[in-house]
Amino acid sequence: MRTGLVGLGIGLALADSSVVTLALPDILRQFDVEIPTVAWVLTSYNLWLALAAVPAAYVARRRPVPAFAAGTLVFAAASLACALAPSFGVLVGARCVQAVGGALVVCAALDLLTEIEGSDTRAVRTWAAAGILGAALGPAIGGILTETLGWESIFLAQAPLALLTLAAAFRLRVRPIVEPAGRPSIPANLALLLLSGALTAALFLLVLLLVDGWRMDPAVAGIVVTVMPLAAIATAAVADRLGNTVTRAATGVVLVTGGLTALGVLPGSAWWWTVVPQILVGAGLGLALSALTERALHGRSPQAVHGGWTIAARHAGVVLGLLLLTPVFTTALDRNEDRALRAGAAAVLDSRIPPLEKLGVAQDVLAIVRASDREVPDVRGAFADRPDTPEYRGLEDELVSQLDRAVTAAFSRPFLLAALLALVALVPIVVSRKAVSV
Amino acid sequence: MRALPLVVAVAVACTLVGAYVALGGTSYEPSPVANPCAPRPPRPTDGTGERVEVVLLAAADGTACRLGVSREELVLALRSVDDLDALARKEGKSRDELEEALRAGLVRAVDEGESQGLIGGTTADGLRFAADHLPLGLLLSILRGASSLLG
Repeated sequence: MRTGLVGLGIGLALADSSVVTLALPDILRQFDVEIPTVAWVLTSYNLWLALAAVPAAYVARRRPVPAFAAGTLVFAAASLACALAPSFGVLVGARCVQAVGGALVVCAALDLLTEIEGSDTRAVRTWAAAGILGAALGPAIGGILTETLGWESIFLAQAPLALLTLAAAFRLRVRPIVEPAGRPSIPANLALLLLSGALTAALFLLVLLLVDGWRMDPAVAGIVVTVMPLAAIATAAVADRLGNTVTRAATGVVLVTGGLTALGVLPGSAWWWTVVPQILVGAGLGLALSALTERALHGRSPQAVHGGWTIAARHAGVVLGLLLLTPVFTTALDRNEDRALRAGAAAVLDSRIPPLEKLGVAQDVLAIVRASDREVPDVRGAFADRPDTPEYRGLEDELVSQLDRAVTAAFSRPFLLAALLALVALVPIVVSRKAVSV
Repeated sequence: MRALPLVVAVAVACTLVGAYVALGGTSYEPSPVANPCAPRPPRPTDGTGERVEVVLLAAADGTACRLGVSREELVLALRSVDDLDALARKEGKSRDELEEALRAGLVRAVDEGESQGLIGGTTADGLRFAADHLPLGLLLSILRGASSLLG
């Protein structure tokens, strides 16, 4: 029971790094901000979690239970502030406070789990699994809540759930750790940083592709991306049988790289093309993150401090991923918009609709494109009042197809860049393979 | 034995990526536009409107070929003199060069259209006069509405 509640606290805090991904368009509209600005709702949380994790871990090792309780209260209060934020500035400010609370919860939770489970190894596995589940389920849960109850409901739901986890700390006595902290594992944390940067693509870009690119309903997209956490859960259940941490980490990295590469070469623009790549990424996530976390913590004391380093590395990786991939994605989107316009113009010019109508269709399509303001335009609107003949339907389908191709191609480079980041994570894993034999 | 999961992972990843590439994953992008300098397959025409359209598209091809741009880029730039100026700047051409190419391309296409019997002598004379003498802004307006004027 206590394990489940502590796991819930960890999951909530780490889910927040991605939970608002599907809510960003609604937040953008409500506060009337630009796309690069609204991304700070995500970036600020991950940045502050990365910055606060190690200091929070130092606090948590001396007084784990009060640190867990204080972190939970701060996290819950800041979640409420996010839900009720009257302005965008207040929302981002509350997200920063929420991240500091989350850092305290996650780091203190490791010491609590060690006490509850009675074993360092089991505590680390539970801690890592709860974090992976939270991070992987975040976009799906956020998408479903946003679509059904509005983006504020994500934060409103978190506050009572977070307070519920306080029961785990009730009358729990955890011995404070006073010995000095040893050096963190550089290779394992570096691999975690690179892999987390790559997983940003899987979690954020995939959701953007489904909802903003392919115009899927956010709730349905939320369900589609649950493939990834399901694969992670299934893999985590058998991970122990797949060898030591080096083998599991390397296997996981290869699967993530393969899945992301496949997402970079999608042969169509239907959701089912993403299912198998998601399975690979999810399986890789389940194997690599837990193995690297175990590797970073193995034989190191105190656990909370080294756990703090892994959280700092992972969320610094998410920030790195966001900063690296966003400009690549934006440039690719602009380039492909031009290509789509030319392909669309060719489709109109070569179509068999009456010559007099071509100009009107072209003007209507261009007006929709101009009004879309960096969102993917819905060109079907240009055909709403036109005759329902095979010629018009053919041209409409061709224009939609060219648009889908352009959007999918725009996501290709960021996914491939993310795959490269994941692949580079193999270097510290291989270099350090003989340093620790776990 | 210890490396077996890794070997399986590499095999699975390579198989998936290979399958997606084989299914056209690397070429799933907007269709490339045709080379304006290459001849296009003839298309059947029905009525004056479609015949004038064929002549104007041939004019667009000829002009785009001479300027080194695609027909579609040129047609999109025909929306206004400002768009045409932007295209000229992008291609490193002067406004005069672009205007000259546009007028010459139109006259050549009208000549060809007339010789092939696609348009009549009166229509051809009207288009040639417009190409040679009208200010660019007015010429663009006529090109955009040519079908309705002449159809």
